Amino acid sequence: MPVKKIVLSLFFVLATLTAMAQTKTVKGIVYEDETGEPMIGAAVTIAGTTKGVATNADGSFTLAGVKPSDNLKFEAMGKVAQIVKVGDMTNFIIKLSDDKNQLEDAVVVAFGKQKKESVIGSVTAIDVQTLKVPSSNLTTALAGNVAGIIAYQRSGEPGQDNADFFVRGITTFGANTSPLILIDNIELTSTDLARLQPDDIESFSIMKDATATALYGARGANGVIYVTTKRGQEGPAKIFARVETSISSPTSTVELADPVTYMKSYNEAISTRDPLGELMYSYDKIEQTGKPGANRLIYPANDWYDMLFKKYSTAYRANVSARGGGKVATYYVTGGFTQDTGILKVDKRNSFNNNIDQKTYTLRSNVDINITPTTKLAVRLTGNFTDYTGPLNGGDAVYKQVVHSDPVLFPAYYPADDDHVGIQHIMFGNYDDGSYSNPYADLVRGYKDTQRSQMIAAVELNQDLDFITKGLHFMTLFNLTRLSYYQVYRQFHPFYYTLDRYDSYTGEYHVQRINDNGTDYLSYSEGDKTITNTMYSESRLNWAREFGRSDVSGLLVLTAREQLNANAGSLQKSLPSRNAGLSGRFTYGWDKRYFAEFNFGYNGSERFHKSHRWGFFPSVGAAWMISNEKFFKPLTNVVNNLKFRASYGLVGNDNIGSSSNRFYYLSETNMTSAARRAYFGEFQGVSYDGISVSRYANEAITWEKSYKSNFAVELGLFKKLDIIAEYFTEHRTDIFMTRADIPETMGLEAAISANIGEAKAHGVDIQADYKQVWSKDFWTSARGNFTYSTSSYLKYEEPEYAESYRQHVGYSLKQTWGYIAERLFIDDEEAANSPSQAAFGSQYGGGDIKYTDVNGDGIINEADMVPIGLPTTPEIIYGFGASLGWKGFDFSVFFQGLANESFWIDASTNYNPSKNIAGTAPFVHNTQLLKAYADSHWSEDNRDIYALWPRYSAYSNTNNSATSTWWMRDGAFLRLKQLEIGYTLPFKLTEKWRIESARVYFQGNNMLCWSRFKLWDPELAGSGLNYPIQRTFNIGFHVTFK
Amino acid sequence: MNVLKCFALAAVVLSTTVSCNKYLDVVPDDGVARIDMAFNLRSSAIRYLGTCYSYMPVDGNVIHDSAMLTGDELWDLVGRIVSNTNARVPNGYFQIARGFQSASNVRANDWADMYKGIRCCDILVENIDRVPDMTLQEKMQWKAEATFLKAYYHFHLVRKWGPVPIIRESLPIDSDMEAVRMYRDNIDDCFDYIISLLDQAMENLPVTVQSNDELGRITRPICAALKARVAVYAASPLFNGNEEEATLVDDRGIQLFPSKTEEEKLERWKYAVTACQEAIAAAQQANFQLFDRTTIASNFRMCDSLLTDMTLRCAFNLRWNQELIWGNTQRDVNNYGSIQAFQQWTMPNMSEYSHSTGGYRFVGVPMKIVDQFYTNHGLPIENDLSWSGVNTQALRRVTSEYNYYLEEGYTTVAQNFDREPRFYAFLGFDGGKWLGQISNYNDLQPSDIPFIDCRNGGAQGKSGGEVGPVTGYFAKKLYPFQCMFTGQNSFSSYWFPWPTMRLTDLYLLYAEAINEAEGPNGPHRDDLFACLDAIRSRAGIPDVKTAWDTYSNNPGYYNSQYGMRAIIHRERLIELCFESQRFWDIRRWKEAPQEYSKGIYGYTVTGSSPEDYYVKNLVATQTFGLKDYFWPIYTSYIYKNPNLVQNLGW
Repeated sequence: MPVKKIVLSLFFVLATLTAMAQTKTVKGIVYEDETGEPMIGAAVTIAGTTKGVATNADGSFTLAGVKPSDNLKFEAMGKVAQIVKVGDMTNFIIKLSDDKNQLEDAVVVAFGKQKKESVIGSVTAIDVQTLKVPSSNLTTALAGNVAGIIAYQRSGEPGQDNADFFVRGITTFGANTSPLILIDNIELTSTDLARLQPDDIESFSIMKDATATALYGARGANGVIYVTTKRGQEGPAKIFARVETSISSPTSTVELADPVTYMKSYNEAISTRDPLGELMYSYDKIEQTGKPGANRLIYPANDWYDMLFKKYSTAYRANVSARGGGKVATYYVTGGFTQDTGILKVDKRNSFNNNIDQKTYTLRSNVDINITPTTKLAVRLTGNFTDYTGPLNGGDAVYKQVVHSDPVLFPAYYPADDDHVGIQHIMFGNYDDGSYSNPYADLVRGYKDTQRSQMIAAVELNQDLDFITKGLHFMTLFNLTRLSYYQVYRQFHPFYYTLDRYDSYTGEYHVQRINDNGTDYLSYSEGDKTITNTMYSESRLNWAREFGRSDVSGLLVLTAREQLNANAGSLQKSLPSRNAGLSGRFTYGWDKRYFAEFNFGYNGSERFHKSHRWGFFPSVGAAWMISNEKFFKPLTNVVNNLKFRASYGLVGNDNIGSSSNRFYYLSETNMTSAARRAYFGEFQGVSYDGISVSRYANEAITWEKSYKSNFAVELGLFKKLDIIAEYFTEHRTDIFMTRADIPETMGLEAAISANIGEAKAHGVDIQADYKQVWSKDFWTSARGNFTYSTSSYLKYEEPEYAESYRQHVGYSLKQTWGYIAERLFIDDEEAANSPSQAAFGSQYGGGDIKYTDVNGDGIINEADMVPIGLPTTPEIIYGFGASLGWKGFDFSVFFQGLANESFWIDASTNYNPSKNIAGTAPFVHNTQLLKAYADSHWSEDNRDIYALWPRYSAYSNTNNSATSTWWMRDGAFLRLKQLEIGYTLPFKLTEKWRIESARVYFQGNNMLCWSRFKLWDPELAGSGLNYPIQRTFNIGFHVTFK
Repeated sequence: MNVLKCFALAAVVLSTTVSCNKYLDVVPDDGVARIDMAFNLRSSAIRYLGTCYSYMPVDGNVIHDSAMLTGDELWDLVGRIVSNTNARVPNGYFQIARGFQSASNVRANDWADMYKGIRCCDILVENIDRVPDMTLQEKMQWKAEATFLKAYYHFHLVRKWGPVPIIRESLPIDSDMEAVRMYRDNIDDCFDYIISLLDQAMENLPVTVQSNDELGRITRPICAALKARVAVYAASPLFNGNEEEATLVDDRGIQLFPSKTEEEKLERWKYAVTACQEAIAAAQQANFQLFDRTTIASNFRMCDSLLTDMTLRCAFNLRWNQELIWGNTQRDVNNYGSIQAFQQWTMPNMSEYSHSTGGYRFVGVPMKIVDQFYTNHGLPIENDLSWSGVNTQALRRVTSEYNYYLEEGYTTVAQNFDREPRFYAFLGFDGGKWLGQISNYNDLQPSDIPFIDCRNGGAQGKSGGEVGPVTGYFAKKLYPFQCMFTGQNSFSSYWFPWPTMRLTDLYLLYAEAINEAEGPNGPHRDDLFACLDAIRSRAGIPDVKTAWDTYSNNPGYYNSQYGMRAIIHRERLIELCFESQRFWDIRRWKEAPQEYSKGIYGYTVTGSSPEDYYVKNLVATQTFGLKDYFWPIYTSYIYKNPNLVQNLGW
């Protein structure tokens, strides 16, 4: 049989060749039906062959070798293709009209797509290209790239480097401020968004106003991020592959004082506070440590940074996809792999890798099957797997520990000396009782394994219901998500050694072991284990029809979602989270000039009492496409597009408390509370676990309500520059908060909460895109966007303070209250004669911070805390960039910045790496001295009352670590976020390998940063001792095979 | 028609939403625990009773007891770096002693906890009748226990804050603002209410607990003893018509410390006498008696002075000995700051083992506490004819007749010689013997008993940062003889229920009440002397009359009410030292200003030779003003409830 087929096809080929003899040349012009303008780049082919041409600048074409029996096919993006029999014709005038079913210029909106011109809601669609940063974390690309997103990144640790992002800022002081994230209709988390491969993204939109989000009802108040992945396309398989390698190093590291300065300063810290105090380090030790040839085992001077961290780390990314299909089915299948490594060194004597090594595997398969001409079935399978190994407490903790470890008490480890021949373990250094922090030992003593697996299976059925009424369409989808996550710790307990005796004359030394509880073998412990099951179903009924100049559509959506957590931890948390809703949209457009839209969401959530379970969230909007008006015609050469739109509506936020606080209408009673355990008996051996209330029932608790309005103007100039500017206001009511006026004499065990808070916000977001093609070989483009969002408290229950500045109302939701620091006290006498600062609980005197007694009562206490600085989340995020292309080369540059943000240096001695708390105050907890502090501090010899650091203290000094203007810094910065140079190989060269396009590129990320703050990367804000943000250099190559 | 079809479809879609309501009902009916379920069965109700108890202040625990490290009786190492707060002794409360109390950052602020406890007690009293499987008698007993605790929590508040809002009945959660913004009741109403609650509880409480597993539960002797203490507090100068507090007036014009005539004040003392008598009677009924050496003598063969030493320590810290009326069995859930942790971290290490998990000895006893102990004649040093006043510096070498108390051949300060047995039993010091850290207690040779060498370079001396003595004196009373460093990094601690009330305390309250009500020569004078002499005789010192008439420079001192007051106060401070009583006593007597002005002195612990070491060194100064009598009310409580008037001075 195959032989027969081959013979047959050969026959057809021959037949075609013979037919070519009787050919002619045809020509013609292709017009756009709606506007009547000539179409550039429309494809004209002989149907069933690949032979064809594209129309040129005036819409005309010429095609030779056409037989009268041929059919010519005219195609263009977003247009209905036409097939015309050639016959006798030689001149073709073709008008292509818009394809209603294939809106290439469509915008993804809630539960569907809308034609761009008819969109009323505020939806930012992002060009996915701009999200391709050399990072395995998509969230880091959001800042400055998306109008309407406030985003910043506080850590550079692989796996922990998700940026914080908010749609139009934060308008609630409730629990949940993050937007709803939907990927292919499935509600997922920011980590899922972070792991998404930009190459797989078809569309990425941000829904911002009430019209865009009302359909999500009680879950849309914080905005929605909506991502769809690519689907199959009819046609031969296209294979796409991308490989990238990058190296990264910190943008900046915190500089520490050298060991000798550290020791001298430590001694100064003791003697300046207590002249009789016992000094920490002997003069001999300081002198010997400073000597160049000193024995570093006896006089250690550890540069823990250097010992623990490499200069740079590497990452690899690869992504392969295949896309294609036929009449029956189309497919998009992709596999991705990324590997990020940390910057930690690995001790060769260990058999395991304690450096951060994160591998992410993604597999995605989107298949669409045409079951009947009107029935389509889509099946989507996605697997996302992350394997992580890394240091026990994570990379941030290692950075913090380095700063919180004494550099001179002991070396990281001792080489085995004569007394310890044959010892297998590493002889880690320590001191005294072995309780000192040896970051080297803590780094190499073990590692953490984390695995996260997520499987998503979705099936979607589309049915055209034209047989009922024209334009009616039904869709139903169902998906299951299974997320599992676990952590395992493997570690040995280090053996610590300390210097026992040392003969300074002979240089002979002996070390002795401090602890007996070290181990040579790894022990094992289990960390978090999570299993989450999510089930979601959705049915849509969609109807769209044109009646003359009227354009009408309707949509009804029914959704139900259930999430279950295994290992939830408590009965109430283990109950399924459910959400059900009915949403609808009705749109009306007239003559492509006037548009109106009504949306609603009707949602229910299991969290609330029956009487408050369902909420109705309506919104209305209207738009006027003024550039489509007849009177505007003369202007369209300059202003090719001008549209005004406005919307107003109500959206909700039902995620108002922590997950442990779900059922507000129920009381939460712990029937076996260890915290309230009572003990009796002869040896205290009889105990009864108590019964405690952690929440009192309140049936009235319900969702937050958000009244949003939006006003926008869209402007297109010269068909080259597109500007969208929007102004928005938001009024959030019913914010869930703790009642502040219930006296303690009530004896309530838990706080009473209610929906009593109110806040408002307003702001603008602007985006501008410019593109100009100068010639076939040269094009330029530029883009910029700007987001401003400011919020303030409208109602905040708090005591009626005598001082008006203590009230929250009127201040930003992220306002900080603190003391006004004037300067440092000149001397003890001045301190004694100033308003008392004893409330801080520390002795204070000359060189300590002097605060302003704002209310003039002679005492500095919390009544003197005034609103200081700007909000702690930025109010302004902006980005701008430009690109140009010349022949095969392209070059682009992108800047990003933020402004209107303050942060506070943590000048406390607090140190809890697991809670991400690390103060910078030196000496306590063996904290090292920052070089900047050593260079500028108040000392008895140099009484600089404006020095950076106050008088040293060997103990915690709460007078100096209070939140005040002294530690307030401007968080604004502008950075050169990205620089990219690419070269696309000439088509002629690649054609013979069936390569459609191939490009190599080089990228640099976070190259430069301008800021007034110099101690560390300003984007880390107060968390300066975190794993630093990385500067990345990236080389990549991608290729598409036909 | 088509439109109709369309609507039909929509109707189908809509009808499914009806079933959605059911879909959202995820909480099983009645499947979620509620507070009233606590009273469905006795087994859960007893846990609720336990909850009422769980608010009891954990006496003797340095991070829960408001009177351990907060006063002038024990001194911590200032600025001690607490690298491991779980195991070591956090020193937050010590900030009060250092003068860092403030209304905006109230330390030892258990105001809210006490009111929570009160609410729990009310809930139990209200609901206990619903429990099906309990006898009426048991219900009555539990109610009485809850009522007692309610009184105790009020008393704890009054002791710290003075007049406080009384919770006669807990208000419902949805009470209106006017009702919940309570005023402080005046001090007399507070005491009267506490006493009325105790009277109410008294009769339904058992004389003794039914089994050892119930030790720590409230009995009638405890209730009677607390009533005696409350009555004496109510009569004490701080609370009884205190003119200094006369200006504490709320915005309704109500004086929270009402002015009183002398007769009215005396009434309080007379009532206290009766209350003490009742309490002693209740204690006798339950067979409480002073702990004496017979128990120990039958177990150990020891010389007389060691037996006395052992007896005096055990009277306080031997679990459930016969003079312990009220042992507090509660503890911090995580056992932080417990007496065991305190023992481990602060006891001088006298073992051969080096330790990283204890023996840091960073809590010391100020010199003024040391000085207050009697001489071996049972007199203050300054009143003993055979002494020429307090001399903190004269050195003396230990000869063999002192070898059970002091290390023979060692040179220490002369004032460590010839003191009363309680001095040696309750204090550890340089050159002093420390019974413990040995396993054989029989027929001890003096050389077997370890001693302390806490001069610089000595085994228990100063050694680096946070390790070392603070004043050179240790509160040995808090370390039972069973406490031992048993190996490298292992310590054997000894738990004992903290004596919230023991019989000597009751005797001293009674003596005080008699003297204040009628002077030393009134109708109850025999009881007065009997109380004091019982304690003195057990302590191995002459009775009051013999001591003062034979050895003192002020014979007959006890005949005046003033003299007797001084004797009783001194006796109380010595006998109950380190028992978290001094803090309250010197306040209610209004003697705190004088006591605090004495300063915190210690020896120069950095000195290594006796000459360098035995130099009195000012460790810290303290101040005491009117405001320091009471805790400040946390300012945020006042913001919430402006009807609360702040204590004077804060």
